[in-house]
Amino acid sequence: MEEKVIDIKSETEKGEREKLYFVRLNYSERVQHLILAVCFVTLIITGFMLNIPEEALMVLGSAGETVFFWRTILHRAAGTVMILVSLYHVYYLIFKPAGRRWISDMMMRGRDFKELKDTLSYYMDFKDTYPEYDRFCYKHKFEYFALYFGNMVMAVTGLLLWTESSWSKFVLDISVLIHGMEAILASLAIIVWHMYEVYLRPHKFPVDNLCFTGLIDEEEMKAEYPLHYKKIMADPELQKIYIRRKPGNE
Amino acid sequence: MPLKSDLFELIFILVLAVFPLFFSLDTVSAQPYEFRDSENCMLCHRYPTIGRFDEAGEKKIFYIDGKDYASSVHGKLNCTDCHRGLNRIPHFDLRKVDCSVKCHLHNLSTKKAFSHMEVVGKLEASVHGKGPKFELKPFPEDLPDCTYCHDNRDYYSTGRAIGRSDDQAHAATLLRSQRDVIRLCASCHEDEEKMTRHGLESIKTFKDTFHWQAIKYGVKNAPDCISCHVPTGFSSHTIRPESDLLSPLNIKNRLQTCSFGVGALTCHPDATHAFAEGRVHEYGTKAQLLTGGVNMEGRFRSLMTEQARADIAKEDLFHYRVLSAIRLIYKILIGCTIGFMFFHQLLDYRRATKKGKTFH
Ligand code: HEC
Ligand code: HEC
Ligand code: HEC
Ligand code: HEC
Ligand code: HEC
Repeated sequence: MEEKVIDIKSETEKGEREKLYFVRLNYSERVQHLILAVCFVTLIITGFMLNIPEEALMVLGSAGETVFFWRTILHRAAGTVMILVSLYHVYYLIFKPAGRRWISDMMMRGRDFKELKDTLSYYMDFKDTYPEYDRFCYKHKFEYFALYFGNMVMAVTGLLLWTESSWSKFVLDISVLIHGMEAILASLAIIVWHMYEVYLRPHKFPVDNLCFTGLIDEEEMKAEYPLHYKKIMADPELQKIYIRRKPGNE
Repeated sequence: MPLKSDLFELIFILVLAVFPLFFSLDTVSAQPYEFRDSENCMLCHRYPTIGRFDEAGEKKIFYIDGKDYASSVHGKLNCTDCHRGLNRIPHFDLRKVDCSVKCHLHNLSTKKAFSHMEVVGKLEASVHGKGPKFELKPFPEDLPDCTYCHDNRDYYSTGRAIGRSDDQAHAATLLRSQRDVIRLCASCHEDEEKMTRHGLESIKTFKDTFHWQAIKYGVKNAPDCISCHVPTGFSSHTIRPESDLLSPLNIKNRLQTCSFGVGALTCHPDATHAFAEGRVHEYGTKAQLLTGGVNMEGRFRSLMTEQARADIAKEDLFHYRVLSAIRLIYKILIGCTIGFMFFHQLLDYRRATKKGKTFH
């Protein structure tokens, strides 16, 4: 798609600027997110199915065995796809310019701790101003790296359990334990942290379609990520990457 | 029209065929039965309402379903073969049924009177045996006798009884469902108090294993207690402790037991030694005792500790410690992380609603 450099200054001078939209997730990232989300939900459901109490399973009757069979297949299929997507993501981070930009923006910095402190003081009414976030703030970084680490743990223990016959029982015991505990941690984190961010935050309620459109409007961009906004506005290269004129898909 | 008359003929025949059914619909409560009842016990016992309240106030039903009985494995026996001395009415001198007595049936090849004496002998020699007559094991009343395990009349019907046989191969259909077997064994082996008296730990941790999670769903290939403790070639009446060289679960025999398969049902065909020789039941009371994780009072403490020392190797203890540590770490991690997240979002929500702002 052809992209012309937007000359923001001249337009603002005219005072009749079109509304701008900012890219938060590009096409590849949205697809990765979608696959990951579908796999994640499948894995959570088919995994915790093992912990349904016996009495509740009675309703399945003789269908139980079939259900269990498909549970197993689905869990492994979703696990495999999730591993593949994660591997692709690593490739994306290293070899794609957008990926490299992503990871360098995502890296932890000293200012993240200050932002955390400032945000909490703002929440608790000690401060009146909200800190100025860059493209990713500590909330994103925390979640991203937790997912990164969790994914790795789940993949390794899951593969060990899949090939159970070749490992010592001790290794398997550890894997079962970690796989289960990490699953609890991950699903709670997604519910408390991520679901709140995208569904329950007052201005997002009832649902945020960012993960499908990838765009937010200028007003939100200014309010939520002011530092990034300023950077973009100051740099035509970044404008090319991050600014769209129309809502909807790029 | 040939077709139409055919149809009428068919209907006529059908009606004729169904007709006798109306007669056989028994309106009286006495149920029909189909075996030769030479002792006339069914004269009274065919009434579904026969029964009484026992001393404990529980209702006991003494009704015998003639059809079930006739098709059961014991259907060819006279009632008094087992219920000795009950041919007098009213019954007195009620004795418990003794499975070791000879009955009137004869083994066709040996011409000897049939009895379960052989099984009785085996059971006595197994870990569930009460021990020699004059030096009974402590608390012999905790041990199962024949009728404890073979209690249920539901299982008498041969339709379902082509089951796991005593010494022969596992057959296709199971006599007892896996859940039933587990319920049976667990009725004793889950009872902490009963088990400590014998230096054993409760096996309730079985319900934390993946095997149980599959059984819950009714997966036929998942193992219940006897699949492991009594695989093909072994008998439910000769269960031995794992330390016994003849036990299928002895370290030397583990690999074979794990990689075992019958027909389409295979367990772990490519099991390695390291896989098969690890701990199967999750660690329970014994490991806890050795690491000081449990406070056990009473007289059996020393017995259990002694047994635990014998059963739980140093290496196992290390494994147990590692597993407990990981569990603890995760619990703390989950508590802190989720606690922080919850707190954070709560604050966010409070601030956002209070200020009535659209963003942050
Ligand atoms: C005249 C009717 C009658 C006949 C015939 C009869 N019973 Fe009974 N039976 C009873 C009654 C009534 C009870 C319950 C009251 C009792 O315990 O005495 C009973 C109870 C029993 C019990 C349960 C005892 C207990 O308390 O656990 C057994 C076992 C039994 N009968 C076996 C037999 C056998 C075997 C025969 C055939 C040889 C037989 N009965 C024939 C009436 C009869
Ligand atoms: C293979 C041996 C055997 C045969 C044959 C047999 N029974 Fe029994 N029966 C038992 C056992 C075992 C019990 C359980 C009570 C016990 O342990 O004494 C029992 C219990 C009973 C009870 C009491 C039920 C209860 O819930 O306590 C009745 C009534 C009874 N039998 C009647 C009969 C009658 C009638 C016949 C013949 C049609 C018969 N039995 C044949 C073994 C047998
Ligand atoms: C009536 C209670 C009872 C039932 C039912 C029962 N057990 Fe036991 N079992 C015991 C007792 C008591 C011991 C301890 C015997 C001793 O002191 O030597 C024991 C011992 C054992 C042992 C040996 C443990 C060791 O390492 O010393 C095994 C294995 C075992 N049982 C398996 C089973 C299985 C499998 C079943 C189900 C088919 C079963 N038991 C049903 C009471 C029971
Ligand atoms: C610990 C529980 C237990 C005890 C005690 C016990 N059995 Fe069994 N028995 C079993 C199990 C389990 C089976 C396997 C059949 C099944 O799947 O239900 C079996 C099977 C049998 C079978 C025949 C199976 C066949 O098809 O060949 C006979 C006969 C039998 N038992 C007789 C006895 C006698 C007699 C006694 C008393 C000496 C006794 N049993 C005590 C658990 C027990
Ligand atoms: C997957 C195979 C398997 C299954 C299923 C299984 N066991 Fe075991 N059992 C073992 C092995 C192996 C041991 C030896 C100790 C160990 O490695 O856990 C054992 C040990 C035991 C012991 C001795 C425990 C002690 O204190 O020393 C008892 C009792 C026992 N099992 C009973 C049961 C009962 C009851 C069930 C059914 C609920 C059952 N087992 C199911 C494999 C199995």
